[in-house]
Amino acid sequence: MLINYFKIAFRNLWRNRQFTFINVGGLALGIAVFLFIIQYVAFEWNANRFNKNYNTLCRVNVLTKQGVAEYYLPPGFAQPVKQQIPAIENAVRLADRIGGGVLSYKGQSESENKTFREDNISYAEGNFLSVFSFPVLSGTPSLAEPKTLALSETISRKIFGTADAAGKTLMVSNQFGNTLYTVKAVYHLPETSDINPEVILSLHTLENAANRDGNDWADPNGTDAALTNIYLQLKKDANISNTGKAITNFLHSVNPASKDETIILQPFSQLHLAPSFDYPLQTYGSLLLVTLFSAVAVLILLIAWVNYINLSTAQALNRAREVGVRKVLGAARTQLVVQYLTETLLLTLSASAFAVLLVYIFQNLFNDFTGKQLSMHILNVGWFWAIGIILIAVGSFLSGSYVAFVLTAFNPISTIRGKLQTSLRGIALRKGLVVFQFTISIVFIIATVILYRQLKFMQSENLGMKLDELLVIQGPTVSSEDQAAKNVSFKNSLTQLPFVKKQAASNNVPGIGYNFSANGITKLNNPLKGDDKKSYSMFICDQNFFDTYGIQLLQGRGFTADEAERSWNNIHSVIVNEKAAKELGFNPKENIIGQKIKWGADFEIVGVVKDYHHLSLRETIQPTIYLSSVSYSFFTVQTETKDMQSKLGTIRKLYNSAFPGNPFEYFFANEKYNQQYVSEQKLGSVFIAAASVAILIACMGLFGLVAFSARQRIKEIGIRKVLGASVFSITQLLSKDFLKLVAVAFVIASPVAWYAMNKWLQDFAYRISISWWVFALAGIAALFIALLTVSFQAIKSAVANPVKSLQTE
Amino acid sequence: MNNNMIKITDLEKYYRTEEVETIALNKLSIEVKEGEFVAVMGPSGCGKSTLLNILGLLDDADGGSFVFNGIEVAGYNERKRADLRKRNIGFVFQSFNLIDELTVFENVELPLIYNNVKAADRKKRVEEVLDNLKIMHRRNHYPQQLSGGQQQRVAVARAVVNSPKLILADEPTGNLDSSNGNEVMQLLTELNEKGTTIVMVTHSEHDARYSHRIIRMLDGHSVTENILI
Ligand SMILES: Nc1ncnc2c1ncn2[C@@H]1O[C@H](COP(=O)(O)OP(=O)(O)O)[C@@H](O)[C@H]1O
Ligand SMILES: [Mg+2]
Repeated sequence: MLINYFKIAFRNLWRNRQFTFINVGGLALGIAVFLFIIQYVAFEWNANRFNKNYNTLCRVNVLTKQGVAEYYLPPGFAQPVKQQIPAIENAVRLADRIGGGVLSYKGQSESENKTFREDNISYAEGNFLSVFSFPVLSGTPSLAEPKTLALSETISRKIFGTADAAGKTLMVSNQFGNTLYTVKAVYHLPETSDINPEVILSLHTLENAANRDGNDWADPNGTDAALTNIYLQLKKDANISNTGKAITNFLHSVNPASKDETIILQPFSQLHLAPSFDYPLQTYGSLLLVTLFSAVAVLILLIAWVNYINLSTAQALNRAREVGVRKVLGAARTQLVVQYLTETLLLTLSASAFAVLLVYIFQNLFNDFTGKQLSMHILNVGWFWAIGIILIAVGSFLSGSYVAFVLTAFNPISTIRGKLQTSLRGIALRKGLVVFQFTISIVFIIATVILYRQLKFMQSENLGMKLDELLVIQGPTVSSEDQAAKNVSFKNSLTQLPFVKKQAASNNVPGIGYNFSANGITKLNNPLKGDDKKSYSMFICDQNFFDTYGIQLLQGRGFTADEAERSWNNIHSVIVNEKAAKELGFNPKENIIGQKIKWGADFEIVGVVKDYHHLSLRETIQPTIYLSSVSYSFFTVQTETKDMQSKLGTIRKLYNSAFPGNPFEYFFANEKYNQQYVSEQKLGSVFIAAASVAILIACMGLFGLVAFSARQRIKEIGIRKVLGASVFSITQLLSKDFLKLVAVAFVIASPVAWYAMNKWLQDFAYRISISWWVFALAGIAALFIALLTVSFQAIKSAVANPVKSLQTE
Repeated sequence: MNNNMIKITDLEKYYRTEEVETIALNKLSIEVKEGEFVAVMGPSGCGKSTLLNILGLLDDADGGSFVFNGIEVAGYNERKRADLRKRNIGFVFQSFNLIDELTVFENVELPLIYNNVKAADRKKRVEEVLDNLKIMHRRNHYPQQLSGGQQQRVAVARAVVNSPKLILADEPTGNLDSSNGNEVMQLLTELNEKGTTIVMVTHSEHDARYSHRIIRMLDGHSVTENILI
């Protein structure tokens, strides 16, 4: 019996291959998107759960009187607190990322030597590895001794290949000078860990002032600089909020100045996702985003099912007569229902299989979007597999039953005679759904166009400087004595190269940033009240910088070679941009050369440069003051892009002999500058993907609705054709109503998209205005896509031989 | 009066489905003269409707020749057939085939719309026809609000509004009681007397007697022809 059901079901599906294909495709698309989103949700849910101490760990937060939570805290309190409060098993301090610099390894032979820059280097308590339970692959998980470190698997492989790193020594050059460390352990960094240092240096190293290179703020016993995150592992039976109170009381007693502050312990389970939307503490993940995406996942699945119902009922109407006959012949309604459910089951199974295939095909692309290593295996955590399967199974069962019951509920006599009563409410609901789907599609189309126009605007706008052909070489991190002299001689050796057209040195470069910002800078004479509160961006460069970067000098001169080679505390001249001149209270139209400003000491303005976009167009041009100094971090060379490999080889040789022990690193100024727009580009791809999926699903919905309505009007179409209606007029008749739905969607979508994108554009200091044609374009595109979908079905009905439809009497 | 309006020779029509092939018309040859009123009779499934569909240019034949008004139309494509059809042929069906969503007036108006008749002319002609067929008072009703006989009158009105040369009727009284049936037959006779050629499929010997000639079919052949007048 069961086999028979399957046989008939398969035969029916096969006979209506086209319908089956579209139905399976639409459902598969919906399920695939659903699967992708729950992968992401599962990943977020799973964050940090690998940790063996997940249930006993917490992060220390300080809540100020103003209600602001802070989790970067001075390191000095950790040990006293631990000694005082018995509920604390372990205290772990982590100075996140402050150790970034250059790693160098000297091997047995020249070829084993490795030197490279790594930014993700943290200092941590000796017990870090064991408390955070990172799996240790070799060595011992203790960094209790100073000058010991642990490496992630990735970094270990990068330096030592397959050889065991434990016991080897590495030179670390960072803001705390050059220090030789011994490798204690190599660990696997779990993907789901929010705390993810690639290199962990023993925090105890910094206890010795000799290893701090004058940076005494970083003393691990200090109680001023808030440089560490503090994690506590509590005893099993400890109460987290009581422990928090105990710590607060203790701190108030030792430091009365902290009276207004409260300690809050953040359980590790709330480190990634907050338990509620109004959670005051910072989290690594976003509950809002996860909730939003979960809602979208369920919505997409729901839409896919409704589309499926639309298509299936339309298709099943073709068989209403068959059903009527079967009923007259005595088929029980349950038998018919089982028959339809069998078909649904077959359809759903193939759609699910197809969806999984789609997920495998597009997984890499999706991972690029999310920047996460997602896969179907992630669903292995918690109940995600079960939830997914239950949702899909319940969805198929409900939608399948709906179709089955609608169809088998028809009065057999009227179905035999081809008359089908339709519920007007059902139709209104379906139309509403199509409007909804098209609204979302149109919003995404508009958003995509506006986003790309803004991106194009930012990339093509005149920046006020020229970044083409500029090769930027990163200056040395590992410093030595007479660094200034070495900088100057390297700079001069670059000038000697025949292929170098222009050359400049500076302490930072456009597209990355300024050097620092400062206030308390005023005109020397008659400053206005409040002028000293104004903030200026300060930028350090040499005499060639403006010329090499094509920045226009409006007044006065650039720096001289003599000025550019002075040390930091020996400068008397500054150059300002137009904004800074105005901000200082000068009239930028007048000659201000020779005017004096006061910033501690007096400085003379020797030049004014035209405003240019030092940073992306998201940022307003800052009032900027340029200082000359010999502390160079970047060397910029202008050269034609051809033969770049051999040119780089030449420069590398110069660099290695000038700054031994430093990695030779370079980038192109324009590429670096454009990297500022990576997030917009990424958002653009997400929009394109979202728009495509939305359009596809909307078209499925529309297709189902048109098919349904064409089937219902089949007799009318036949009569009209017999009476002389042309294919065109029938197509028009069928399409008109549906294009109206798209028009309604357009009317709803336009203000929504306008509002959202206007809001998005507010983030950009320099932005396009949203022009009306973008909406027109989106509307026409949606209409065109809808027309294609509709006319496919409409034409099919219009060219059908009317004899057939009239015969069914 | 003696011109052939329809002359079909060795007409063939097959229906192919996945499993079987049916020969619906098998080398059928008949002639219908202009102004004639012909009845087609025969057992169910012998090909009467198929013949009418081909005569009405709704379907094309698989073989043989079909000369309509002196023109060979056997090879005509869909568009040419549709064009010829809407100008020359009216249909009356057993099940009326009115459009439920349109009023009586709108139903009758349809063929004129598809023949690009101007709105003012349309109104005049539809009213004329409705008047003639005595259903003017029902012009704003919908088909479901009418009796079977009235619905068939509307169908006849729609078939003649365009003054076709040929009316094809497939069991026009099949769904009607005898008094309504007689009325419809009366209508067709009057139309024929005004010069319209009529080919009518019927199961009823009584109705067939209204015609000039009966063509009897069996298994896709024409077997006998009874001339009544
Ligand atoms: N669309 C079709 N597909 C397959 N066979 C058909 C089709 N239409 C008619 N037939 C077959 O062609 C033959 C003639 O049908 P028809 O002309 O409708 O007969 P009648 O009107 O005389 O009852 C019948 O055997 C019928 O089964
Ligand atoms: Mg028939």
